[in-house]
Amino acid sequence: MADPSLFRLRVVFGKTGRLAMLSHLEVARSLERAVRRAHLPYAVSQGFSPHMRIGFGAALPVGVGGMPEFYDVFLTCWVDPEEALSALQKASPEDLMPVSCGYVEASAPAASVACPFSTYEARFNQPIDTLVVPETITVIRKKKEKILPVTEYLQGDIEVKNGMARFTLEAKPTGSLRPDKLLAACCEQAGNGLAVTELVRVAQTVLPPTR
Amino acid sequence: MRNVARFKDPAPIPSEILDPLIAKAERPSRYTGGEWGATVKTEGDFSFCMVYPDTYELGQANQAVRILVNAVNARPNLRAERAYLPAVDFIETMRQEDVPLFSLESRRPLGSFDAVGITLPHELAATNVLETLDLAGIPLRAADRSEDDPIILGGGPCALNPEPFAPFFDILTIGEGEEATPDTLELIRQLRQEGKSREEILRRVAKEIPGSYVPRFYRVLDEAEAQATGSWVAPLEEGIPEVIQKRVWEGFAESDAWEPMVVPFAEVVHDRVNVEVLRGCARGCRFCQAGMMYRPVRERSAHNIVSAVLRGIEETGYDEVSLTSLSSTDHSQIPEILERLNGACAGKGIRISLPSQRLDSFGVDMAALIAGQKKGGLTFAPEAGTQRLRDVINKNVTEEDLFSAIDAAFAAGWRRCKLYFMIGLPTETDEDIKGIASLAQRAYDRAKAAVPPDQRGSVRMSVSCAVFVPKAQTPFQWDGQISPDETLRRVKLLRNSVKYRAVDVNWHDPKTSFVEAVMSRGGRPVADALELAWKRGARFDAWMEHFDEEAWRSAMADTGVDPEAIAQQGYETSYVMPWAHISMGVSPRFLALERKRAEQGITTPDCTFDACSGCGACPSLGVDNQLQATRSIKGDASKEVATTEGEVS
Repeated sequence: MADPSLFRLRVVFGKTGRLAMLSHLEVARSLERAVRRAHLPYAVSQGFSPHMRIGFGAALPVGVGGMPEFYDVFLTCWVDPEEALSALQKASPEDLMPVSCGYVEASAPAASVACPFSTYEARFNQPIDTLVVPETITVIRKKKEKILPVTEYLQGDIEVKNGMARFTLEAKPTGSLRPDKLLAACCEQAGNGLAVTELVRVAQTVLPPTR
Repeated sequence: MRNVARFKDPAPIPSEILDPLIAKAERPSRYTGGEWGATVKTEGDFSFCMVYPDTYELGQANQAVRILVNAVNARPNLRAERAYLPAVDFIETMRQEDVPLFSLESRRPLGSFDAVGITLPHELAATNVLETLDLAGIPLRAADRSEDDPIILGGGPCALNPEPFAPFFDILTIGEGEEATPDTLELIRQLRQEGKSREEILRRVAKEIPGSYVPRFYRVLDEAEAQATGSWVAPLEEGIPEVIQKRVWEGFAESDAWEPMVVPFAEVVHDRVNVEVLRGCARGCRFCQAGMMYRPVRERSAHNIVSAVLRGIEETGYDEVSLTSLSSTDHSQIPEILERLNGACAGKGIRISLPSQRLDSFGVDMAALIAGQKKGGLTFAPEAGTQRLRDVINKNVTEEDLFSAIDAAFAAGWRRCKLYFMIGLPTETDEDIKGIASLAQRAYDRAKAAVPPDQRGSVRMSVSCAVFVPKAQTPFQWDGQISPDETLRRVKLLRNSVKYRAVDVNWHDPKTSFVEAVMSRGGRPVADALELAWKRGARFDAWMEHFDEEAWRSAMADTGVDPEAIAQQGYETSYVMPWAHISMGVSPRFLALERKRAEQGITTPDCTFDACSGCGACPSLGVDNQLQATRSIKGDASKEVATTEGEVS
């Protein structure tokens, strides 16, 4: 995988505004097109279906924004990161805007698994003081019901401050708990029409964040 | 009660209202707007919204929307936006929340635009046109619209028989809209500024913009009168044209082949750079409406096309380009174009595809030129199972052409092939149906022989059948469609005739094709049935899961429309059809002659390869075929190949 002749550029961007409503696949396709529009010297895979060598970060659900988000694109020659950033910015829609970029080791973990801990912030349609977290969440995967114990994924509690909720979820190799599903379950438990109005991933880290 | 004031409010629908609704919709990316390449024009005091009457993923890549939005935005006084019919879930949300249909660019209600254009891509989009108008809060019938309602324009393939649509449009533009549409809008703008009434504005458009059919200025005649006078409608005033001749954009061949495009976030059909390499096809298949509609044939130059493809990739970031037209491999410079593009795109992971290929010119070379890529299935379209019937329809494909194309394709690495046929073509017998089975089985044998023995198990051949739908302005316009029951009988015969288990047979539901034929051949009375069918719930008729046969059946019964007669009746070629007042430039005499030759099994050559066939298009439209070089046939006949992503014909 690690081709020493390639340069691995990590691009940090935001998934903001209306484009928070895009799916992971839609974001991925759009980022790839921005790389082509920016004329970066991207590497192309070998084989029957050649495609851009690009690796995306951990997926965000439809409706969930993120800042910072990142992806890795492999280049065939070194480009000054400032120049690459400026070219990418010119080629990107406002709500998927790159904010910085820099080279990472070819041997570093893939972008999708580099940061297993995701911290989210949520706003609601009414003031809240606390959120009661259910013990389990039932999700449907491949048409099968699956019951996920929340504590396996949620780091600590959901912290509520100034009407906003903040929490960290760990992605496991076996799967992860979607932040929107967790909050939907919390809202349902609270009753009284409580609903999330905005949900954003605000940090992605290698280790669990310390409070 | 719907809030009418809100539908005409020129202010954008506030994000606080719209965004939470979109967030809950299926696939929100259909409604977000803000795509790369979308033009948000602020200057210009006359607003136009171009609508595709189906969902975003079906309409986003539509050429009419793309071209006309660009053409209108190119005029300083005009500004154009886009809208699509939302999917059913979001339509329900919008109705519940009293949100009108809005444009993607400025999110303004359609009812607040000065003019709205709706493209009519196929017959089964008819109820969606009414759904679009209603969701926008615009009165369905032109007669019910007030001075400050938008002027509703229509155009596209269904305008070749505009009668079932006529009451719902203020103006129908016949033919190519590159010049006609912005010219019409400029005239409307000028007359609005002069304070002219809606009636007067439409009168001036009917008289001054060639190609405009403004139904309100015509009287509808009964059958006897129509047959006596040669038209089902008659102008009510002096200066209103008796026959509306289609527009041809003479500048097509010389114009820049790069048509700026929107790059969607959502995954849509034809999700790639599309470069139109030529317009028109003179192969002369007798069932084909497009072949009659876009004459004469006009090619863009190799330089123009190559440059457009490279710019398209650069500006959009797409990794796939399609060279579109009715018959791209007919382009006189196609080998040069493909070689140059393959060279320019080498190593970049860019794929070049041809939606509709005729391998008669260079089967094996052609397979090689597009072979360096991922191989999906191929679609060949022999259309009929026997040579006799292929001669009747003027398809000009022999079995040997098909087999050598299959040899080339399977030797080059393809493993799946779909053969496309029509059932119910004029003069078809059971022998022709059995011929389909025989042809498919022999094609399978050839395919198997062309691949290495260890890979023979993966060879797949499928037969796909659609029912023949008679189309306006074609030599077969006088021929009826076979009944749905007869279609199923012939399908059964076909299935029983196929003995190989590796050859599977698929067919299109004859119930929707029946409605298609009613809309295709019906006159003005069908408009009432259409409106009632929509009121009874018919919409998204082209979607199997939404098609509501009962709504259509009951609506036709209750409006006195006899659908069997409309769809299935055959006529002499002297019979005046309901679209006689619309002219494609191809003369009715030529259509009748072609129908006679069909009966006799006589084929007519393609005038871009051979002598003029005398269709009448060039002299009556004042435009000739424009070819970049001499077209030459290396084989003696042709076949069509489409990649899996290819156009649905």
